[in-house]
Amino acid sequence: MRKLLRIARHEYIKVAGKRSFIISTIGFPLFFIAVMAFSIFMAVGSEDSRPLGVVDEAGVLAANVAPTERANGDKLVEVRRFADEAAAQAALRQGDIQAYYLLPAGYLSGDTVRLYYWDKTPATVTQRDFDYYLRANLVASLSAEVRERALAGPVVTARSADGQQEISGDGFLNFLLPFGIGFFFLIAVMSGGGYLLQAVTDEKENRTVEVMTTSVSPNQLIFGKALGLIAVALTQLLILLIVIVVGLAVGARFVDALQELRMPWPLLLIIVAFFLPSYTLIAGMMIAVGAAVTELRQGQQIVGALNMLFTLPYFFVIVFFTAPNSPLATLLTLFPTTAFITITMRWGMSTIPAWQIIASWLILVLSSVGMIWAAARVFRAGMLLYGQRLNFKAMLRAIGARAG
Amino acid sequence: MNPTVSVSHLSKSFGSVHAVEDVSFEVFPGEIFGLLGPNGAGKTTTIRMMLDIFKPDRGEVSLLGGKMDEHKKDRIGYLPEERGLYKDLKLEPTLIFLATLKGLDEKTARARLTDWLKRLDLYDHRFKKISELSKGMQQKAQVIATLVHEPDLIVIDEPFSGLDPVNTRLVEEIIREQQAAGKTLIMSTHQMYQVEQLCSRIALIDKGRVVLYGQVDQIKREFAGNAVAVKGQGNFEGIPGVLETRRVNGDYHMALAPGAGPQDVFRALAARPDVKIERFEIAEASLDDIFITVVKGKEAAHA
Repeated sequence: MRKLLRIARHEYIKVAGKRSFIISTIGFPLFFIAVMAFSIFMAVGSEDSRPLGVVDEAGVLAANVAPTERANGDKLVEVRRFADEAAAQAALRQGDIQAYYLLPAGYLSGDTVRLYYWDKTPATVTQRDFDYYLRANLVASLSAEVRERALAGPVVTARSADGQQEISGDGFLNFLLPFGIGFFFLIAVMSGGGYLLQAVTDEKENRTVEVMTTSVSPNQLIFGKALGLIAVALTQLLILLIVIVVGLAVGARFVDALQELRMPWPLLLIIVAFFLPSYTLIAGMMIAVGAAVTELRQGQQIVGALNMLFTLPYFFVIVFFTAPNSPLATLLTLFPTTAFITITMRWGMSTIPAWQIIASWLILVLSSVGMIWAAARVFRAGMLLYGQRLNFKAMLRAIGARAG
Repeated sequence: MNPTVSVSHLSKSFGSVHAVEDVSFEVFPGEIFGLLGPNGAGKTTTIRMMLDIFKPDRGEVSLLGGKMDEHKKDRIGYLPEERGLYKDLKLEPTLIFLATLKGLDEKTARARLTDWLKRLDLYDHRFKKISELSKGMQQKAQVIATLVHEPDLIVIDEPFSGLDPVNTRLVEEIIREQQAAGKTLIMSTHQMYQVEQLCSRIALIDKGRVVLYGQVDQIKREFAGNAVAVKGQGNFEGIPGVLETRRVNGDYHMALAPGAGPQDVFRALAARPDVKIERFEIAEASLDDIFITVVKGKEAAHA
């Protein structure tokens, strides 16, 4: 066990200490934060704080209704009323206001509101502020209760029949996060898997493997390598999750839309629970391929085909949209290589029955442990056939052979 | 005395190629045993089977008192023919890692490595990447990795490859020290000179089979008269009964075919008009001569 852990630590340091790893792991989230900060800065910085103007030819504005903030305390832009369009235009020319709205005489019978501005349209938030202002005026004559409801607008929460899961109108994180995580997973699969493949073929090519196998058992070597790489992937996942959580928490202080987001903790739990065995499965596959081939190039061709097994759910994304609980979706949920991405994608679109999640996880864990075990056997057989490629039949024979 | 290593009737084929056929030998505690033969003779395959890297098709290996197991791996030091070190890692951390896989704790490994690195002039290079080291330095690093855990059985495959004369002498000295400390060494090489210098017993492997096995002194005695040294002028090529002629310090050193005596060679030389002999003497057969007599003689007999 001690030797296994030493190998794991060695692999971890070997990969995590690489400049390329540090750049991609820290750099990707940093880039993400920089883009977010830049867009927040642009949004906040470009906002024009000058008042808006309004010319009420329709006579729909109530007297003395000029809300300064929303129900949640957000400040609203000031709206100045002008008696006629000429006065509003003069103010616009002077630069006293950034734009003015004209409510035409036929507004109530269908004429649309017109917006006049000098060279730049008011920001979307500013326009929304005017919408709020107008609504507040239109409902001013209603009772306080109705007025509040009408101003708040509809918030729909869809809840599954068994009450396990709910999708609310603002739960776009539920929907977006699975795609982001799925994408990250694929990057991790390709880079981590590619690394393991290279590590195994390199060791075979430079004969390090001879020194290793006269020091440790094939099982210690393979399990140690897999464990080290899983720790690397977990580090990446952890950094990514921390960036998402911290990024959203910090971002929410500046961007109102983010405040309404709630962390989908159950989804995060599912992600962590499925990520580990999925990654182990890939690690096992890569080791088996690396052990069976004589040079990296051969291995890369096989790995290209194996990667398809993991990306398969993306080809059926339409199925998940239209029939998230179809037999095909269930099948992809239970199949070990497609389980992770399928579950994360279905999560945002419907409720996955608990039995499917549990069965899928168990199948995945069993197949990943089995894969690593098989990889150690193939590795041993590949060693015996030094310099020769191990064909598929021989691989199966090695897995089926009795230990020794 | 029980042998440290006993190899009996080992055979291994790769496809249709018989790499090793019916190889047997024993290695006793405290000796330096030479496994020699031309390139591709099956030495490395034999070593790999001995160390359980390959499984033999037939035959048995017993080492350190039984079959190979995980605990015994800590008592074995192995230097593979091609340098088995990670190219893109730094020297000292790699050596520490390999030492800990042999059961040393990190502190002990570090302390011992400092001494070894200093002795082999690698101390100043300890934080360099292995790929940045010269071939000779990499070989010395590999020697350290083989010995740092103080193994009882040391298996070294072509230990002098890539070394300059100074370092060759240094490694020879280290090998002798290990023997003096009671360790058992198996050395595989195709350089006969080193074997003569270091080994007490040898097995000569050719085309996967053991063709000569025993004490170096005894083998040399058996092959006495199988070499002659001639001083003279003229064409010394193509003399009947001579397998190979080479120049040694201005003399012609000739390895004789099995069954050919020095008298036959002398007569043949005397009969040639293009040769003028100044001195003719029976030389002590070096392992080189014996090697040529056995390997080439067999080929000649088959031809």
